[in-house]
Amino acid sequence: MPRRPASVRALPPAVRVAVALGLALPLALAAGAARADEPCQSPYLPKIVGQEDFLYVWTLGIEGLGDGSDKLVTVSVNPARPDYGKVVSSVSVGGRHEAHHGGFTDDRRQLWLGGLDTSEIFVFDVASDPARPKLVKRIGDFVEASGGAVGPHTHYPLPGRMLISALSNREGTGRTALVEYSNDGRHVRTTWMPEGAEYGYDVRVNANLNRMLTTSFTGRNNYMRPLPELMADAEAMKQFGNTVVLWDAHTRKPLQVFEVPGAPLEVRWALQPGHHYAFTTTALTARLWGFFRKDDGTFEAVDLAPIGDPAKTPLPVDISLSSDDRFLFVSTFNDGMVRVFDVSNPRAPRVVHEQQIGRQVNMVSQSWDGKRVYFTSSLLSQWDKTGEDDEQFLRAYDWDGRTLTPRFSIDFRAESLGRPHIMNFGSEAFYQGRVAAVAAGGAVGGE
Amino acid sequence: MRAGLLLALLAAAAPAAAHEAAPAARPAPAVAPALPEPGTYELPPITRVADARLLDEQGAPAPLLGLEPGQLAFVSFVYTHCADAGGCPLALATLQRLDRLVAADPALRGRVRLVTVSFDPARDTPEVMRALRERMRPAGDWRFRTAPDAPAIAPVLAAFGQDALPLVDASGRESGVLRHLLKVFLVDDAGAIRNIYSADFLSAELLAVDARTVLMDARHAAVEAP
Repeated sequence: MPRRPASVRALPPAVRVAVALGLALPLALAAGAARADEPCQSPYLPKIVGQEDFLYVWTLGIEGLGDGSDKLVTVSVNPARPDYGKVVSSVSVGGRHEAHHGGFTDDRRQLWLGGLDTSEIFVFDVASDPARPKLVKRIGDFVEASGGAVGPHTHYPLPGRMLISALSNREGTGRTALVEYSNDGRHVRTTWMPEGAEYGYDVRVNANLNRMLTTSFTGRNNYMRPLPELMADAEAMKQFGNTVVLWDAHTRKPLQVFEVPGAPLEVRWALQPGHHYAFTTTALTARLWGFFRKDDGTFEAVDLAPIGDPAKTPLPVDISLSSDDRFLFVSTFNDGMVRVFDVSNPRAPRVVHEQQIGRQVNMVSQSWDGKRVYFTSSLLSQWDKTGEDDEQFLRAYDWDGRTLTPRFSIDFRAESLGRPHIMNFGSEAFYQGRVAAVAAGGAVGGE
Repeated sequence: MRAGLLLALLAAAAPAAAHEAAPAARPAPAVAPALPEPGTYELPPITRVADARLLDEQGAPAPLLGLEPGQLAFVSFVYTHCADAGGCPLALATLQRLDRLVAADPALRGRVRLVTVSFDPARDTPEVMRALRERMRPAGDWRFRTAPDAPAIAPVLAAFGQDALPLVDASGRESGVLRHLLKVFLVDDAGAIRNIYSADFLSAELLAVDARTVLMDARHAAVEAP
């Protein structure tokens, strides 16, 4: 989708300075340099704004299926390729670590993938051969170096380093921290979550505002426990986060704590100039929340809408905001649905589409241009459904603004792969320096 | 030697650049986050870099950093053919403003150095870097560096984690454009990178506050003590 024209006043700082210097903007914007700008992930990461070539799918091993190990599965997703819709490579890391989330370094040359159970981080080189990533490093000191944080979750690139939100600690409770590593794999610092808001889950930065939001989930004692058993334990069910924290991104100091009941998980900042707000959804209470900047610079949290019927616990687990800030895709694990909210008016979101994706669904990722949407099925190894309902798939769709049209589906059980979780986009052109890959919008990546 | 595109653009913008030191000349940002108080937060070392031998604007061998105890440097990598408004022009505009702030601040003057390095030595000869210096008109300690050739600058770029990929056109010919993510590095006297800035959050005022924060570290205070 084309980006909305912006007034000079609303332009990002880089362009404002260019205006101040009297630089030739049309020339500058056509030059094809990769600028730090991004739909769903970090503003520091270059984007793939055109057709992505690959999906990198971090996949949990299943005992007795294939080699039983966690693996990085690379899938061809460019219709122009002869292997479209097929697995093109798979790299096992050995053992099951509760493969979950991961992210690129800020140069997009490495993909870091974390294990929530063992706290090990696997670093893949995706630049040398984007179709066949190579495991080049294992970071095994996360717990020790961080001073006791456990469960590396979001891997969020900052310039020259990786900001990682952890989920737990050595005791297995939800008190946790933000942990930073240099791109070369050395611990830089640990910032523990503030008192009264000790739980952690996602972390996202709005660089222009110098603000950062963190959300909250639960500790290892809960996320590694079989779900039926956990839900029958009333005390354990109290051990979930109910807070979202707003931070000064530069100093890593908490500024505001919001009460957001029911485990607020993924959080996304709006991307367009002047859109000073963010969204999250609560897993247990099935609500869509917004965080809006007020005139005095502080933020307010607003309970915006239900997601499906909260009484039926649809369990919203992932969200994806289109790069024009119009559509928010919300996937709900229990009913296997995606609901698309029109959030053009961010304080009055409305559902414009609902569709069944599978018997269970977890992650949802869309391309920068909003034309393609991908889903995976697995939530956590101990929380996925059982029997026939335990479908494990990657499904690709086209989105035309009204409906999702299936393009292909890969059965991760039939392929002896495992439980697919987070997806990241890959591109061959990006690493080959082909202008065509970066000219549109001056960006090169995205989820 | 033909001056680079960036130099030509900066020359055309000379009247605006001449007012760059005056805050009122800049357009008001839509939102201006408050600056932190120096010394109230931490900037732990991210990684370490070794000094390197490069070329100064006269073509003579010169260190990249050459810091004395108690000094620090803001290192930026640019190329003068850059036409991306969010890249080198932004870095140079910000550094020019920082240069003025440092020169006017007794707590920073003499302790904060600016180093601008070309990652395009084939085109950015010492003569071109000299022209860039003349265009920037440093008020303080601002040094300009290039290298004899691309292989000479490659290990420096790798050490800092600064990308610079030549883009090619559809027929595979180099386009002359170097794709790079704008980064500015704050390096202390031990070679530790204490912060890295990108285009989305590059403010001369913030860089000056970070410089004060690093200089307020106990280690530097000890160096300063009689």
